[in-house]
Formats: sequence, structure tokens, C-alpha cells
Amino acid sequence: MGEVSRLLVDYGPAFGQALFLTWKLTVMSFVAGVLLGMAVTVLRLLPVPPLRFVLTGYVEIFRNIPGVVLLIFIVFALPDLDVVIDYEPSVILTLSLVCSAFTADYLRTGINTIPGGQIEAALSLGMRPMRIISAVVLPQAWRAVVQPMTSLLIALMLSTSLASQVPFPGRELTALVSKVATDSAAGMPAFAVAAALYVATGLLIAWAGATLERKVRILR
Amino acid sequence: MSIKSIAKSTMVALAIVTGGSVFAQGTPIDAAAFDALVARGPVADAVTIASSTWASKIKEAGTLRLGGTQTSNLFSLRNEKDGRIRGFDAGLAQLITRYILGDGTKYQFTQVTSSTREQVLINDQVDMVLATYSITPARAEKISFAGPYYTSQAGVLVKANNQTIQSYNDLAGKKVATQAGSTGPAILAQYAPKAVVQEFQTHQEALDALRQGRVDAYVTDYTLLLNALSLGTGDTRLAGTPFGAQDPYGVGLPKGSDGVPFINAFLKKIEADGTWAKLWTVAIGQRTGSTAVPTPPAIP
Amino acid sequence: MRVASASAAIVLLLLAAGVGFRFHAAGQLDARFWEFFAWPTTWSFLGRGLLGTLTSAAMAAVIALTLGLVLLAGRLTRLRLVRWPSIATIEFLRGTPTLLLIYVCFLVLPPAGIKLSTYWMLTLPVSLSTAAVVAEVYRAGVLAVPRGQAAAARSLGLTEVQVFFLVVFPQAVRYIVPALVAQLVIVVKDTTFGYVVTYGELMENAKVLIANYHALVPVYLVVAVLYCLVNYAISSASRRLGRPMH
Repeated sequence: MGEVSRLLVDYGPAFGQALFLTWKLTVMSFVAGVLLGMAVTVLRLLPVPPLRFVLTGYVEIFRNIPGVVLLIFIVFALPDLDVVIDYEPSVILTLSLVCSAFTADYLRTGINTIPGGQIEAALSLGMRPMRIISAVVLPQAWRAVVQPMTSLLIALMLSTSLASQVPFPGRELTALVSKVATDSAAGMPAFAVAAALYVATGLLIAWAGATLERKVRILR
Repeated sequence: MSIKSIAKSTMVALAIVTGGSVFAQGTPIDAAAFDALVARGPVADAVTIASSTWASKIKEAGTLRLGGTQTSNLFSLRNEKDGRIRGFDAGLAQLITRYILGDGTKYQFTQVTSSTREQVLINDQVDMVLATYSITPARAEKISFAGPYYTSQAGVLVKANNQTIQSYNDLAGKKVATQAGSTGPAILAQYAPKAVVQEFQTHQEALDALRQGRVDAYVTDYTLLLNALSLGTGDTRLAGTPFGAQDPYGVGLPKGSDGVPFINAFLKKIEADGTWAKLWTVAIGQRTGSTAVPTPPAIP
Repeated sequence: MRVASASAAIVLLLLAAGVGFRFHAAGQLDARFWEFFAWPTTWSFLGRGLLGTLTSAAMAAVIALTLGLVLLAGRLTRLRLVRWPSIATIEFLRGTPTLLLIYVCFLVLPPAGIKLSTYWMLTLPVSLSTAAVVAEVYRAGVLAVPRGQAAAARSLGLTEVQVFFLVVFPQAVRYIVPALVAQLVIVVKDTTFGYVVTYGELMENAKVLIANYHALVPVYLVVAVLYCLVNYAISSASRRLGRPMH
């Protein structure tokens, strides 16, 4: 414990900033990823085969590509196509793309749990397709996917450690541990503090997700 | 298709037909001369090996675990076609391998970056590191250095069309790339404290960042920058002359290893018999257009 | 609807053409950036890198599946002295980024006297964090097995260990095979961090090709496609296994 308190004297503010950056990256990529994922889901519901084909490809690519490969492509290869994106937006873009693919995948599973009769009922009431999607399908799909989306948010939070792989001016938790371990002998306490912060954040998200799940669960 | 692009593709076709000289990647190393030089290197006798526990351990293992780089054009670049690594550092590493094991190819290679070099020695993942590795007091606390075998100074590389940066004095407020864990960050802190520094893991990544316009300049060892110029693409130039203190390159060894006197004796030997000068000519001189072989730095 | 399809197809084709033009305008379609992909040496070099990735991933998967079972057993036992540490271990390994664990094996453990080989510096942390997730996947499977099964087995006089390994676990595995296989995708993704500990894998070999040919876009594109293909193959296998068995 003595080591941890000494570490916090030396690096306390740095850990605060690192935790904040980890949270910021998580929230920004989750929001962007979910919106993008929802757009993909809706477009995939349209009966337009070429669009479906391309979007299925989109989902498969970003579900299967390792995050670090995507990030390195965006940071180091895209500039050769005259597309230069700064480091922080690159990290957020990487995580959002991956997040959107998983969101689209989960939402589709959620949609599949909705009984077909509901759609027919909505159609017979004269609702237009987009109205059915926004008023009947999506709300129920969201309620069905609270649990996987919670896991996705935790996985995304852990994936922000990717940011340590580019010359980011700010340091998130993993980059900070790597720096402390290289510069001093305080690697072990630094790791312990960072791990505790990650685990605590994860448990917080899991708790929030479970609470939400209890509120919105649909019993069938 | 525009005339320009037709001309371009014709050039490419020509380049392929003529053996790739139009768009050649700078002057490639004379592989045959390099391999022959390594194959002629000296071999230590049993007594010399037995005098060093570091060398004896390698002899016993039958392979030398080498930490190096495979992406640095002048110093150590892997040719993926034959799998061999060639360059000035690679040549020294293979000569040391031959000196101990009698065969320059009996090394087991580990790719290091400028921020993993100390760690792989501390972790006992490699027996030695040869990777344009500057001897600094901070590093000497964690590991031991043999040599130096080469000296360099810092230089500033900018895009050829950059007129505003003429030397390190013009770096204030500019985005400047350097290598993480190298001497670059400290040199920049001293000579260009107002520069906005970005630290990259490898020389190649820093070079690409400059070419792609992520940064305005790249500050690192002058010799490494010659590497960039040797690519012959003409899109970069050196801004000003080399500056800062002399930067000696050493052979990284585990802390307190008795490989230090062993390698120092080896370096003196190849410097005396002309192998060092021949290696410099094949790996650096012939490829940067310089004929004046430098004097190797004094070994303590 | 046919009009919609046709116009969508046209828009998408225009988009693809735009990307193609971007490549062309940036000079990335030049032959010198692509010609080396016609050489077998390039592919065998990349193949060796991929093999490095896969040998680590395969070992990590085997360890994770086994260790996950140990953690599950610890978590399900009635002994508090075993259960609580098991839960803590699972939550800790699950809740920490694999990359951070890799950094620990590379930067923190060796000065403390624990020196792993390069291979294990990558494989061990990947195995550990996967094992924790696998333990939770197993648990979900076990909880899905109807309670009556265990009760019936117990009434036949089977011991707790027999009940678990002969009756409950084999059924649980059938529920979770797709989830387990999907976990393999994550293992492969995690091993892409091999270069952090100087382990030779696909990304490192890609960097050698880039240093030789200055072809960042083509090489990273090909690497991304290779990873996608490997993971897609695993994903589709998991989907096939996921079809209901009757």
C-alpha cells in the first residue's frame, strides 16, 4: 500500500487525467458507434438488395478486423490517400466503426425476437414502413439488446487501450502504465491502480446495464 | 487518362523491364559484397571465447539472440525475398555472430523498437542489441554498452518544398517527429524547447509521418536521415547541418555483462584489419555517395 | 422497389468509383506499390507472419478453454474460501484490457524476477483474459441446463463431481459452442498486439514489406483482409455450429 500512495503522490493527477481520457474516448466512440450502427440497421431493413449486400459486408468487415489493424491503417496508411486524420479522432473513428458493426449485429438479433404479427398489425393499421421501424421495431429491439450492449460498452472501454499505440499527446490508462513502468520502478503499483480503475469502471457499467435491463425487459 | 498518367505508367513499365532503376528504392546495398564481407570475418579461438562467460553461453547455445531492426534502410533492412538482413548494424551483428559461432547466419532475430531496446535486454529475451543505439547515461543505468562503433549527430529533415525551416532554430511551434525512447526527445528539449514533439515507435513511421504531412520536421540521428535521402525520391532535404553533441552508437548488452570487453576487443580487431572500413563503404558510403571513410570512434 | 435497387446500386458504384479515383489521384495504384504481391516470396513472408500469429492464438485458445473450466469450478463451488478468490480473479482478468496485461508481462514482471519468453509474454496474457471470459460463457451454459437434470443425477447416487462432469457440463457445452468459437475471434484479434513484446507476427512482417516498398496502403490493406478472412472463417464456423441441433 505504501508503494501505491507514493505512486499517487507522484502520478496522482496523471492518473486522474488518464481515467478521464479513457472515459471520454469510451463515451464518444460509443455514442458515435451506436448512432452509426442504428443507421446501418435501419438501412439493412429496407428491401434494397444492393444496399443490404454492401452493408452486410460492412458489418462483417468491422466485426472481424482487429482494432489495432484498423487504427494503424487509419493513422499510417490513409494519409497516403491524402486523408490525414488527427490521432484522437482516429482512435474514436476506429472504435466507433467496430462498435457500429456490433451494434448493427445485436440490433438485428433484437429485431428477430419481435413477433411478425406485430408488423402485420402495424401495417393493417396503415402505418408507413419507416414509422413502423421507428415506433414499433426499434424501441422493442433496443429493449431486447440491453445486455449485449452493456457488454459491448465494457469491451469498448477496454479497447480504448488501443490509443497507447499511436503518438497521442494525452495518455489514457494503459499508455500511462507503460510510461510509468519505463521511467521508474513503480510499474507494479501503477498497474494495480490502472487495473482497479478499469475494473471499477466496468463494474459500474455492468451495474447500470443491469438496472436498465430490469426496467425495460420485455417478458415473453 | 491524362498524358501525365500515361507517361507515368510507361515509366513504371520501363522500370520493371529495366530492372527497376527508375523508381528504385534509393541505391540498394550490394548484397553479394556484403555477404562476402561477413563470410570473410574473423573467428575467435577457443581461448578467447572461454575468457568471456557471455560469449561462452552463446557458443553453448549455438545461436546468438540478436535484438535489431529490420526496417532501417542503411543500417538494417530485411530483404523478404531471401530473408537476410543487411546494413551497417546488421553487418556488425553478423560479424559478431561469426566471431563467436563461426557462422554469420546463426543468429536468432528479434525486432526491437527504440522504446523496447532496454527492456528486451533486461528481460533476457536477447543476448545483444545492435540498433543505432546511442550510449546515454540513463540507458547505462539499466544495461551495459560495448563500443562505441559509430558516432553521429542530430539532424533536421524536412520536405523538399519547405522553405520556413532552415535549421533547428526554426522549429518553435512546429510539429516535429522523433523516435520514442531515442535521444531525440532530449535533444529537442535542449535545442528546440518550443517544438511540438510527436514520438514514433520506429524510424520508418516517423519518416512516413513527415512525408504524409502529419509533422513539419523529423529530428533524429543525422546518419538515419541520410537513410531517408538515400531513398532518392527527392521529396525531402536536410535543413541545416548536423547539430548537438556527438552521439555515439554502442552495442547493448545485459547490465554488467563481461561481453563488453569481449566485443570491444572484437571491434578493435575489425577496425585494425580494415573490415570496419569495408563494411562502412558497402553499407553507407556507396549508397550515400560519400567516399571519405570516417575514423571509427575511440573505444575505451 | 426495382427503381430503388437500381438507384442504390448506382450510388454505391459511384461511391466505389470515388474511392478508386482517390487511390488513383494519390498515386496508390502505381504498379510499384502492387507488383510485389505477384511474387511468391511476398506471400510466403506474410504467411510466416500469419503462422506466428496463429501459433500463439491456438495455444492461447487451448489454455483458455482449460483454465476457464478451472475458474468455473472455483466459481461454482460452495467453499467460500475458493469461490470468492475465483470470482475476484475472473472479474479482474475480464475487466482489464488484454493490452495492459501484455504490457505488464513485458515491462513490469521481468524486473520483479518473473522472466517469460517472448512467446509467453504474448500468449499468457491473452490466455488469461480469454480464460476469464470463457469461464463466464461456461457458467451461462451451466445455468441454462434444466435444474431437474442435476437433481435426477444426484438421486441416482452420483457424486457432485460426477453430476457436473457427466451430466451438466456436456449439456452446457452444447448450448455455448457458438459463443466459445466466437471467442476465438477475440483471441486472434488480441494476438495482433504481439509486436508490443517483439513477438514476430503478421504486423511485423507487414512493416518489413513497407520498409522495402513504401507501400503503406496496399500492405496494410492486404493485412486487414487477411485478418478479416481468418476471423470471418471462424465466425461463420460458429454460426454453422450455432444452428439448432435436433
